[in-house]
Amino acid sequence: MPRPWRDLLTLYCATVKICQMPDAADEYTLSDLAELADVTPRTIRYYIQGGLLRSPDVAGANTRYDEGHLWRLRLIRRLQREHLPLAEIRNRLIALDDDQVRTLVGGSAESARGSAVEYIRSVLTSRGVAAQSARPSAPCRGSHPSRPAPRPPAPVAGEAHLAAVGGASSAPPPPDRSQWERLTLSPDLELHIRRPLSRLDNRRVDRLISIARQLLEEVP
Amino acid sequence: MTLTARPDRLFIRRHARSQRFVLAQITAPAADRRRERSAVNLAFVLDRSGSMGGEKIRLARRALEEGIRRLDSKDRFAVVAYDDAIDVVVESTSASPEAKRNALAQVARIEARGSTNLADGWLRGCEQVARHQRPDEVDRCLLLTDGLANVGITDRAELEKHAAEIAMRGITTSTFGVGLDFDEGMLEGIASSGRGNFRYVEHAVQIPDYITSEVGETLEVVARDTTLCIETEPGVLVDPIGPYRSHTSGTRTVVELGDLVSEQHLDIVLRLAFPYGQVGITTRVRISVTDRDGVLDPTPVEIAWEYADHHRNDAQPRDRDVDRAVALQFAAKARQEAVELNKAGQYRTASDRLASVGRRIRGYAGSDPELIRLAEELDEQGVAYAAPVAPGMLKQHHFASANVRRSRDASGGVRRER
Repeated sequence: MPRPWRDLLTLYCATVKICQMPDAADEYTLSDLAELADVTPRTIRYYIQGGLLRSPDVAGANTRYDEGHLWRLRLIRRLQREHLPLAEIRNRLIALDDDQVRTLVGGSAESARGSAVEYIRSVLTSRGVAAQSARPSAPCRGSHPSRPAPRPPAPVAGEAHLAAVGGASSAPPPPDRSQWERLTLSPDLELHIRRPLSRLDNRRVDRLISIARQLLEEVP
Repeated sequence: MTLTARPDRLFIRRHARSQRFVLAQITAPAADRRRERSAVNLAFVLDRSGSMGGEKIRLARRALEEGIRRLDSKDRFAVVAYDDAIDVVVESTSASPEAKRNALAQVARIEARGSTNLADGWLRGCEQVARHQRPDEVDRCLLLTDGLANVGITDRAELEKHAAEIAMRGITTSTFGVGLDFDEGMLEGIASSGRGNFRYVEHAVQIPDYITSEVGETLEVVARDTTLCIETEPGVLVDPIGPYRSHTSGTRTVVELGDLVSEQHLDIVLRLAFPYGQVGITTRVRISVTDRDGVLDPTPVEIAWEYADHHRNDAQPRDRDVDRAVALQFAAKARQEAVELNKAGQYRTASDRLASVGRRIRGYAGSDPELIRLAEELDEQGVAYAAPVAPGMLKQHHFASANVRRSRDASGGVRRER
């Protein structure tokens, strides 16, 4: 085909790839996998240690998980719902290869599509909106006197802080963004996040939320 | 449950692709009062953008309070409030008395503020439902807005796609548009793709009733994710006339009807196009209903058409009830299109659209008074639509047509008898 058409076709294919959710190569980082499977990264590491999931390829910052991990996590979830103990689940998983797991989990058209949580999170993630943490927030203790919610403080301090933590993260956010999200960590603690964030910052925020929740749930 | 299917005419021509219409009518079974109803898992997504200030937000809060009060401890609910920030005001919780008290206190704090990130607010609400999905429950997100989505995803097609994908995964979306400024095409589109219901809340004072009516419907769902299945012989084309999504695979067409409420009545119109055939041969079509849990009787009803010569075709009687149902569907669709056209300033096209459907109907009306009256109404409306129509009137017409297309009454409620 003539050169300009070929360029246009290449550009189109590249654009389609970027728009696909999740990552077109079907590989995931730990936090992406956690979001899609609706578990915490800690749980995934626990399963790997316990032999329910195989170790991922590579290690460190470039660790990548694949679809097989996602299918297995779904199968683990389903077997847990049937009240199987983890030891039993491990025994079953060890005996299955990825294709078999996929067939088991993807048996119905519904499972093959993935759950509602996975779909919604993939949409929110692709828009730079972090999903809610897999753990439920602390329950509201008693009612509060009525008080209008304050507007978050000017963004400058927040940006500087993120930049200081991140070092070489993405370029500073464009000045006309004004979408703030409030996450309730406890009845008296809120985290204000200005969206959209880069993928890296999204992951940092998720870690921050997990750590905050752990701290708040500790009994002194 | 009852399922009936009636053709407009029973003979088809051998030398022409005959087009025939079928009216399928479903009446859902009554809820079995002796058995416990299914649990519901709801998310209320509330617009708290600046324009909702004053009476609207106050009534919306009241609507939420009344809706939450109707639930009991086997149900779950969540509340999300959005402007350009998204707040999960109440994380999905089971509706125990304590949780309800806490929730009401949180809801009382919602105030109107910023601009409108409808998409992320709605998705966050769906996520709240999704995180606690259980089998055998009714999962639904209720989205209330008074304005245009101006932050986040604003493309209607994209929102409809997400609504359809989320509905496929078990969570339906119903939408409520308050006042004059929201985009009724978008909101109805989201509800339609989301297999839920759309309501136009003309006056803020109606908000509580409409919300509690919707909650009430979820508490009376008897069949989830129902579909009408049409199986034909090869070569027959099936085209559902109506707002429902459908897919065809080979000789099987499936029309998605959403959740059915106790004793709800639905009229579904189908257009069939038949291939050439030989005189005396019959061709059969089987129509049945299914639902996610196998509650509805799947026994099909069958219609057999016979190929006949021109004389018999010309002389055959018409089922006027079917004709009327068909005409109502085409009229309602044309009216909704005319609303969009008039809004866009295309007055001539809007007017012509209505007039041409009026002419078509007059073509087969004969002496039937209802069809004649419908054609006259369309003519009159065509004249009115040749000039700008007030936004409130456009929204009223749009909503009225949406209700006709879905066999609902004037306030968007379920019809329970013919």
